[in-house]
Amino acid sequence: MKKWFAWLAIAASVLTLSSCGYNDFQAKDEATKAAWGEVVNQYQRRADLIPNLVNTVKGYAAHEKDTLEAVTKARAAATSFQITPEVLTNPEAFNKFQQVQGQLSSALSRLMAVSENYPQLKADTSFRDLQSQLEGTENRITVARQRYITSVQEYNVLARSFPTNITAKIFSYPVKPSFTVDNEKAISTAPAVNFGK
Amino acid sequence: MPSFRALPAFFLSILLTGFLQLAGAQDFVAVPALSSHVIDQAQMLEEQQRRALDQVLVDYETRTGSQIVVLLISSTAPEAIEQYGIRVADAWKLGRKGIDDGVILIVAKDNPKALRRLRIEAGRGVQGSLTDAKSKRILEDVIAPHFRQNDYYGGLAAGVSALTSLLDEEHLPAAEKAKQASAQEDDGWIELIAVVVFLAVFFGVILFVRRRPRNNLNNNDWGHTAGVIIGSILSDAVQNRGSRSGGFSSGGFGGGSGSSSGGGFSGGGGGFDGGGASGDW
Repeated sequence: MKKWFAWLAIAASVLTLSSCGYNDFQAKDEATKAAWGEVVNQYQRRADLIPNLVNTVKGYAAHEKDTLEAVTKARAAATSFQITPEVLTNPEAFNKFQQVQGQLSSALSRLMAVSENYPQLKADTSFRDLQSQLEGTENRITVARQRYITSVQEYNVLARSFPTNITAKIFSYPVKPSFTVDNEKAISTAPAVNFGK
Repeated sequence: MPSFRALPAFFLSILLTGFLQLAGAQDFVAVPALSSHVIDQAQMLEEQQRRALDQVLVDYETRTGSQIVVLLISSTAPEAIEQYGIRVADAWKLGRKGIDDGVILIVAKDNPKALRRLRIEAGRGVQGSLTDAKSKRILEDVIAPHFRQNDYYGGLAAGVSALTSLLDEEHLPAAEKAKQASAQEDDGWIELIAVVVFLAVFFGVILFVRRRPRNNLNNNDWGHTAGVIIGSILSDAVQNRGSRSGGFSSGGFGGGSGSSSGGGFSGGGGGFDGGGASGDW
């Protein structure tokens, strides 16, 4: 009788150990970092496209100076924003990141809207290619953001629910910030890039 | 104790039901089962045409290992075709694992203009040659002209051949199905042997420790339990192995680590990142 009790106690303690979720935190923390890496990567890809795009538009629509400058400025702001690992745990830095990228998104969509007025520009092959690349990249950004949101959600459920929240406190795994609905709207207006065809 | 353990599960289940309700409320179009290489849910092709196109894609997969699938549906509303496309891509996982050479060509025949009617979803591994710009050109310059004249078969056939010739430029690893399958089987055996050795050592030590001076009446009891546990783990391992190799032989053209799914075929575990292009006709 006593023997069984001892085994039961061991089994129970093993179960509690596994339910403290330390290993889950390792896995999910890494998953959010990987997803975040993809987000940054795709934003960078967009930033890399912009100089070519601006030059091409300049060739046909040089007097749209304000719009072109706005894009160049927004790009400079977005690329000069230092992305450190702390961005992930610091909601303020995270918001700032969202903000600069959101500004670039809206500047870009204005540029694409303006270029609608230049039939020659629209017919230019390299412009068409750049435009589809930009569109593809905007979609990649959306996908990467969605995946980040999902991975953070899984992580945050773990960090908030009992009893794993105790583990989170002890080993300092704070709740992570995610993309907000507000910004989601800003992004979903960005596919103005997607004009018509 | 048990009630404590149940708590996180309880919260999770609440969360999950919440999400399910949310998903149900939105009523998204379901991702169809991967029944063949050309799935026509919009009756755009005649059966003979569908078969011909399917054969081209099956042959292409056998020859190169890359998986291309054409999906014809009537509508993706309320989602845009891009959102629907990435859901399909995530569900099917076309392309070989680690090579990510899957491509999906989606036509949503009755989509409103804002949601777009054409989409190429390009796997990560093919984006070197099948760039967004090239995808766009295939949609607009190859497929759309045929579609405008209601020549769906002609458009799809031309689009598929444009896709395959672009993928051929990619220098992907050759198809190595037979090799892959046997490698997988070897892995299975190694796993099995490792489990047996580990269990033997583990329980051997326990038994050894427990044999030592102690006036124990039912030593045999423990030996029996150990036997049952070892037995069940072993049978699990054997079953896993069986189902895995079974997936290979019956799946026919599943790449990577696919398992067979009811008569169709399966994606090899390829990844997508939303790259590709959308268009209209």
